[in-house]
Amino acid sequence: MQQLSLLLTSLPDGILLGFVYGVAAMGLTLIWGVMDVINLSHGPIISLGMFGTFFIFIKMGINPYLGLIPVAILGLLLGVAIYFIAVHRVIDAPHLSSLLATFSVNMIIIGIATAALTTSPYNVDFNMGSFDLGFTTILGTRLIAAVIAILVTGGLYFFLYRTRPGKYIRAVTNNRAAAELMGVPSTQILALSFGLGTMLAAISGALIATFFPFSILSGAGYELKSFVIGVLGGLGNPVGALFGGLILGVLEGAIPAFMETSWVPVIEFGLFVIILLVRPNGLFGAKE
Amino acid sequence: MAILEAKDISSGYGEVQILWGASLSLEEGKLTSLVGANGVGKTTLLRTIVGLNKPWEGSIWFEGEDVSKLSAHAKASMGLVLVPEGRQLFTDMTVYENLEMGATAQRSRARMAESFEKVFTMFPRLKERRGQKSGTLSGGEQQMLAVARGVMADPKVLIIDELSLGLAPVLVLDLFGSLKKLKDEGITILLVEQNVQMALAVSDYGYVLAEGRNEMQGPAKELINNKEIRSAYLGI
Repeated sequence: MQQLSLLLTSLPDGILLGFVYGVAAMGLTLIWGVMDVINLSHGPIISLGMFGTFFIFIKMGINPYLGLIPVAILGLLLGVAIYFIAVHRVIDAPHLSSLLATFSVNMIIIGIATAALTTSPYNVDFNMGSFDLGFTTILGTRLIAAVIAILVTGGLYFFLYRTRPGKYIRAVTNNRAAAELMGVPSTQILALSFGLGTMLAAISGALIATFFPFSILSGAGYELKSFVIGVLGGLGNPVGALFGGLILGVLEGAIPAFMETSWVPVIEFGLFVIILLVRPNGLFGAKE
Repeated sequence: MAILEAKDISSGYGEVQILWGASLSLEEGKLTSLVGANGVGKTTLLRTIVGLNKPWEGSIWFEGEDVSKLSAHAKASMGLVLVPEGRQLFTDMTVYENLEMGATAQRSRARMAESFEKVFTMFPRLKERRGQKSGTLSGGEQQMLAVARGVMADPKVLIIDELSLGLAPVLVLDLFGSLKKLKDEGITILLVEQNVQMALAVSDYGYVLAEGRNEMQGPAKELINNKEIRSAYLGI
């Protein structure tokens, strides 16, 4: 009985958080799907999104949800820049090269940010009230974050399936040489995809910062979660990522009702390994 | 005047040289075929012409302009379009979306509605299946879609690599018929085929490639009656 009430308390929180994880994972999985690059700078970009909220809200006094717009734009531009500086030259090289390239970007961002911002935790004290559901209360910031995460997913889906640049991204994902033969400038499309991936990372970071303290190193944890989610939803399948995020959120909400919270990562990554072994294309299928 | 000219092209992959000074010239509005045995460099020559491979030596001229160094998408936008070997469709996208992707260049997008009508008249089957993912089509339908996607680009020169590969003879006849229609509309066509007899039968002019070099060329009618060709490629 006690466990059930614990479950009811923590599950809604976990689910709401799961949507935000989903957005972070979507960024990682989009980049992988389009160009077969695992972006190891994903974590610090999530952190930069968190600092985006910090500077926009604490320093400039702008509403953090309004602040998502500049964070998204800067995230997009940063990604395009990273693509041309670090990724483009190794795009056709073996995976190790692109892993090292994005890992270098990871180290550069962490290095600069550590020098400028230290690694001690920052906090954005933002209050959107809370809702009492009887068995638990939900923080307004988490609810809004989940709603925004769903809207972002819908937006991404619309972009990929209903707009021309989005269709170009899918065409390049599917067959880059053929897209090039049809007149699609594939380099620009790859840069755009990388930018969208980092934009999603930055948005998820900006949302997380409204309810968790953070430092430049916090993103790493979410990057790892993004891997688990990506594999759950199928790497290369952005919409599957939202469901993957939801599953992870449910796990994070449910596990503390039955065992110590410190078991959460053990179970998450255990699941990661099992899925890789049993369904390497993810629970929701994806590219072979 | 030649609309497309490849002059003394040398090219290959990595350390391996495939082409040793191959040349080709397409007369505007004509159907030209490029034939030769497996592995003589036909596909490499096409890839080099459209910009997927860079020429090591030699130059490529399109409508009087040197396009040797342009990227594939830039050449496609100018109207130099390749229907690649093995179809290379966007298999996760619908038939309609594949065709839409064909009309990417500014000039072809302006005529998209017209082009849709054209390809749907030419291949009514594609119209029926326009909402279906292209990966689920049959081999023949996929080849139709690959050609149709090329036509959507509103090409000035349409290059088709291995139109007949793996298709039933009836379908091949159909597709060759479609090519003739395209030619009648003024599109210059370069056809690469292993099915030498069929290719020469519909062509105006032909090139025979061997070991990365031009072996023979001439009006298709003469080539098809040429003794050497008959014994080497037609088995007669």
